[in-house]
Amino acid sequence: MILLSISDLAVRYGRSVKAMHGVSFDVPDQSVVAVLGSNGAGKSTLLRAISGTLSLHGGEITNGTIELDGTRIDRMDPAAIVRRGLGQVPENRQVFSRMSVEENLRAGGLATPPSRRAAARAAVLDMFPKLADRASQPAGLLSGGEQQMLAIGRAMMGEPKVLLLDEPSLGLAPLIIEQIGRTVTEINERGTTVVLVEQNAMMALTVAHTAVVLEVGELKLRGDADELKASEDIQRLYLGGHAESEEHADAEQGEAAERLERRRKSLKVWSA
Amino acid sequence: MSDTEIANPPATPETTGTTPVTARRSTAARVAPLIGWAVLLLVLFLTPVYVPGEWLSVLCWIMAGGVAAMGLTMLIGQAGQFSLGQAFFLLLGGVTYTVLAADGDAEYIGFGLPPLVALIGTIIISGLAGAAFAPISGRLRGIYLGVASLSLVFLGYYLSHELPMLAGSASSGRYAPTFSVPGFDFGETNPQLLLLNVPMGAAERQFWLFAGLTVIAYLVGQGAMKGRVGRGWRAVRDNEAVATVMGVSVPGEKAKAFAISSAYGGLAGVMVVWWYSGLMKPDEAVELGTYSTYTTIALLAMCVIGGLGSLGGAIAGSALVFGLPLALPLLTGSNQTVDASGTAFTPIVITNLVFGILIVLIVLFEPRGLAGLGTRLRNLIRR
Repeated sequence: MILLSISDLAVRYGRSVKAMHGVSFDVPDQSVVAVLGSNGAGKSTLLRAISGTLSLHGGEITNGTIELDGTRIDRMDPAAIVRRGLGQVPENRQVFSRMSVEENLRAGGLATPPSRRAAARAAVLDMFPKLADRASQPAGLLSGGEQQMLAIGRAMMGEPKVLLLDEPSLGLAPLIIEQIGRTVTEINERGTTVVLVEQNAMMALTVAHTAVVLEVGELKLRGDADELKASEDIQRLYLGGHAESEEHADAEQGEAAERLERRRKSLKVWSA
Repeated sequence: MSDTEIANPPATPETTGTTPVTARRSTAARVAPLIGWAVLLLVLFLTPVYVPGEWLSVLCWIMAGGVAAMGLTMLIGQAGQFSLGQAFFLLLGGVTYTVLAADGDAEYIGFGLPPLVALIGTIIISGLAGAAFAPISGRLRGIYLGVASLSLVFLGYYLSHELPMLAGSASSGRYAPTFSVPGFDFGETNPQLLLLNVPMGAAERQFWLFAGLTVIAYLVGQGAMKGRVGRGWRAVRDNEAVATVMGVSVPGEKAKAFAISSAYGGLAGVMVVWWYSGLMKPDEAVELGTYSTYTTIALLAMCVIGGLGSLGGAIAGSALVFGLPLALPLLTGSNQTVDASGTAFTPIVITNLVFGILIVLIVLFEPRGLAGLGTRLRNLIRR
């Protein structure tokens, strides 16, 4: 079953900046879909379009549709989209730093019906027991990894059907990134569909079932996560370390050294 | 994450290992505020017996300012908005109550409703007026919103002069009935009442009324701030984009905050009319007077001095900003002696100096204001 379906999506910022066009892909129920791409590829724009928050950033959907569980959400108010079962973990975590951990979690449950709030909270604390220990601390005092856990927990308080994660590995140590990967898997195993936007392609492809690759606002590649992991394009673009690319890198390094040498020469002219 | 574990080793055993202690502490923690409230209510009940009438009047004025400042401090400190328009809602509340409660005649419009109905109606209408400002408050922020809301004070000044059949004329004003419930008048001595052999006159009754309203306003505000309403406000204050993806309607929360803050302003406006023994009189100048830009700044000063977002702080701020100019002449004897001394240090000037200096000191040393100082003191005592 398709839970989230994006078809022929086009997004524009202001009057002229076309950030995305012709993007279509489906997110099956109970799956993890990774969205890869370098800076400026349109990953965040895609998430904003799905969560209905484009207008907060001066953007709008100019074409295409987004359906969540069979209902069109591309013209909906963000709060209504959340109530339909879409949760989001924003880029850079963005916990409410002046509030306590407990309050952050409660804020995440603001749109959850009162009867289900206790269950949601129990599930989140079961997943992140550390948050219970630190319940009364200001969220701003948590470490980066803990803040990411809190941001994920806060989104899970809304009991989403689909969870959008925007670069959860950003600025975190490799060990923590691994842990976040495991968390994503656990969330998925508990029944939540995940859309994972990442620059860290290695982690994302390890966790995801399928993946799409964005490049300058267009969908470049799509396929099975394992296949993409093996594909040369991905290796070259996002993973590095392939034999051919090493050669290429060596050549580049040589060139750079030469450039530096040339600059030194010119500097000598001035220093002499 | 391991580094933070090492950094905070005592946190874990304290919170997880000793459940019975925390349970016992929580019972004590639950009972202590109840005892505190009981003592406070008793003190408030007995205050009119021991405190002379002119001081009761000062306390009432402080409470009127405190209620207006409580509304404003929730708007600024909790919902992260800014308003310089609170004096307008004082005026609106006063006029609305007067129109609803006073009898109409050839000169004035009035509906002659029972005071309690008029009071509730005023609070609702003031709240709706605040919500009507939402299209503006939702689009602007910071100093832009401050200036836009300041225009309300000028609008109120203009309208009150254009519509004397509602607000009364600026020279003589009009009268609204003081508060009464069937069988008990708060503004008069009907029925006669003795408490510990002290007759309870108009000033004493007014103190009870004001104290009761202030306590209710405090409890309602505290409830709102502690619950979902306050959480939504703080989420919007801290990060609108994130609050949006939490399913919070940002324009809705902002409108709610403005409506509640204005309702507090309206209630305070009614208290101001009562404090003047029922006289509703528009200001003669927009800069200085009961509903002027001066008052609007004074209310903002109360919030800053008290600590933004703290209800108790708002009342403490009011005690300084509204209380000092009235208390100083009582302390120094009378107004005449101050004027006759030939110095420029009238109570108002001294008050302005005091709260000017306080604002500078607070911004520099304790941004959480008097409320922050209170928290520090409490922590010292607990240790």
